[in-house]
Amino acid sequence: MIFQQIVNGLSIGSVYAMIAVGYSLVYSVLNFSNFAHGEILMIGSFMGFFLLSVLKVPFPITLALSMVGAGVVAMAIERFGYRPLRLRKAPTLYFMIAAMGFSVFLQNLAIIVFTPNFRTYPQLFPLEPIILGQVAIGRLDLLIFIISLVSLSLLSLFIYKTKVGTAIRATAYNYRVASLMGINPDIVIGIVFFLAGGTAGLGGMLFGMKYTTYPWMGALTIKAFIAAVVGGLGSLPGAVLGSFILGMVETFASGYVSSSFRDLFSYAIMIIIIIFLPSGLLGKNTSEKA
Amino acid sequence: MKKITMLVIAAIIILSAIGCAAPAPAPAPTTAAEAPAADKTPIKLGWLGALSGDGATWGTADKNGTALTVKQINAAGGILGRPVEIIYYDGKGDQLEYINVLKRLIYEDKVVGVIGQNTSGNQIAMAPIAEAGKVPIISTFATNPKVTVPEPGKLMRYTFRVCFIDPYSGDVTAKFVSQDLGAKTAAVLFDISSDYSTGVKDYFVKSFEALGGKIVAMEALKAGDVDFRPQLTKIKEANPDVIVMPLMFKEVALSANQARELGIKTTLVGGDGWPSLQLLEIAGPAVEGSYYLDHADVNDPDLAEFRTAYEKEYNRNIEITAVMGHDALLLMKAAIEKAGKAEPEAIRDALENIKDVKVLSGTINMDPATHNPMNKAAVIIKIENGKFVFFKKFQPAQ
Repeated sequence: MIFQQIVNGLSIGSVYAMIAVGYSLVYSVLNFSNFAHGEILMIGSFMGFFLLSVLKVPFPITLALSMVGAGVVAMAIERFGYRPLRLRKAPTLYFMIAAMGFSVFLQNLAIIVFTPNFRTYPQLFPLEPIILGQVAIGRLDLLIFIISLVSLSLLSLFIYKTKVGTAIRATAYNYRVASLMGINPDIVIGIVFFLAGGTAGLGGMLFGMKYTTYPWMGALTIKAFIAAVVGGLGSLPGAVLGSFILGMVETFASGYVSSSFRDLFSYAIMIIIIIFLPSGLLGKNTSEKA
Repeated sequence: MKKITMLVIAAIIILSAIGCAAPAPAPAPTTAAEAPAADKTPIKLGWLGALSGDGATWGTADKNGTALTVKQINAAGGILGRPVEIIYYDGKGDQLEYINVLKRLIYEDKVVGVIGQNTSGNQIAMAPIAEAGKVPIISTFATNPKVTVPEPGKLMRYTFRVCFIDPYSGDVTAKFVSQDLGAKTAAVLFDISSDYSTGVKDYFVKSFEALGGKIVAMEALKAGDVDFRPQLTKIKEANPDVIVMPLMFKEVALSANQARELGIKTTLVGGDGWPSLQLLEIAGPAVEGSYYLDHADVNDPDLAEFRTAYEKEYNRNIEITAVMGHDALLLMKAAIEKAGKAEPEAIRDALENIKDVKVLSGTINMDPATHNPMNKAAVIIKIENGKFVFFKKFQPAQ
């Protein structure tokens, strides 16, 4: 059973990781938690659903389109929602409130536009698992795990090895100094939102394939947010680490303690981390992030 | 002519005077004997339910079922030789609205009994109003135990129901899986945040163990969560004969899919949170061969006659609430006949001990201590070829 639970934990962690990096990316440059992130994931999930099951677009193209689509939505939210606040030098709290507003607004809009039904992606992979000895590995889970690892690696390559990535890190390090050095913060922030939205769209689509798509699915990203906090908000490796830790803890709490206590454990970990390591496992104090 | 009218009016005055004034259920053989002969005035009953808003589909079917039954009863000579008249009110699925319309039925329309409605929350809100107005109300589909017994030892004297309560379905599920499916071991996956689910679980465990079965895994989840693989992995390890899932359809669908992905082939058994086409959409192949238990099923052959009449009358498909509306009115009729007079207090007393009333969803034997039908039959529905198929009517042994 222990190996099966490890597989379960890794699989759950890989879904959290894709969502958690979005929270961390935005936090790294703007120092606030974008609570509309879950709704961007939901929008990505609906895009994927309609492309795949209504327009019959092939799977890889759907994946790319819903990533880009969700990225664009995230950029639009930044452009029309957060940028005016930023230009007025509003306190961080205002950003959070605006984000919550977007979250509730988008969720209700989705309920009206898409109806509150659960949508099911066409079944692309058979339910029969791959059996390795005592361990069953779902085909879809394996795919999600691989896509998650690949996209996270590409993302970190982009952040750490490209010029734009360097600009993002510089902006995260010090917003003002970076703009004095000729980096246009509006463009950088736009790119950050695009990346965060893109990973959310990808996550949303994979999430929808596994767990169905519905207007209030964004609420589930709260777990990914916890993972980002545990790993250290603003740190990408931290978000990934936090996600896998959370996935494992949840699985093992259910498997070996009691499934009734699962959420108790995940939130207890967050509280303990906040008390003893206020900036998370890999988050660095004060300014250096991303 | 005039004399008869005067007589009738006198009878009504006497009747209503007794109805209002008599504090105790005074046996009044004189009126009871005379009234049926002379009294042809309609018996006034009330109905309430959601005819608009979220529950309108269920409420409208409930109303139609009741209205059709009124027609049938009146065509067959009415109750105690008097025709039945029902005043219908839309409660809009809103607690305050229900309280208002129930008061109107009791104090303005002066009905002798009320049929309604199908959700527990609203029924719980209405129970004290029925209590104060001393008019019996029969709920069609409020399944929470608190509707009639809000706290242990306290009984809502005027509230009754025609459906069985949630925990009872746990008991019936246990009997069904051990008798019909021959299960010796069972696992339970339940929703820790739901009264319904934990109630079913408790009673299932109690009855299943009393029947010699063994609970090999008991796992909790929370509605709204989406990944149940850790719990299912434990269940897989325990290798039960059946997995009982008293959950809502979304959690059923996700856990069924995930169970199959983990290579679990065990039969799944559930309750009345299952019937939704969305279950088949999300998890059709995963729930194939599963069973769930419900109050009634429109495909039950016992319902065929009523169903045909309903679909002819309204030109639309029958919903299960129509059957419950029908049954509630039949129960009211039986109680009035047993009481021998159409007075709220007498009907209440008759309802409390009423026995062997055959209705479409089973036989009603009222438990005087809880106002819930005792030992009522349940229907078992099987999922076969991606469809909900009537499997059998299951009458648990006493």
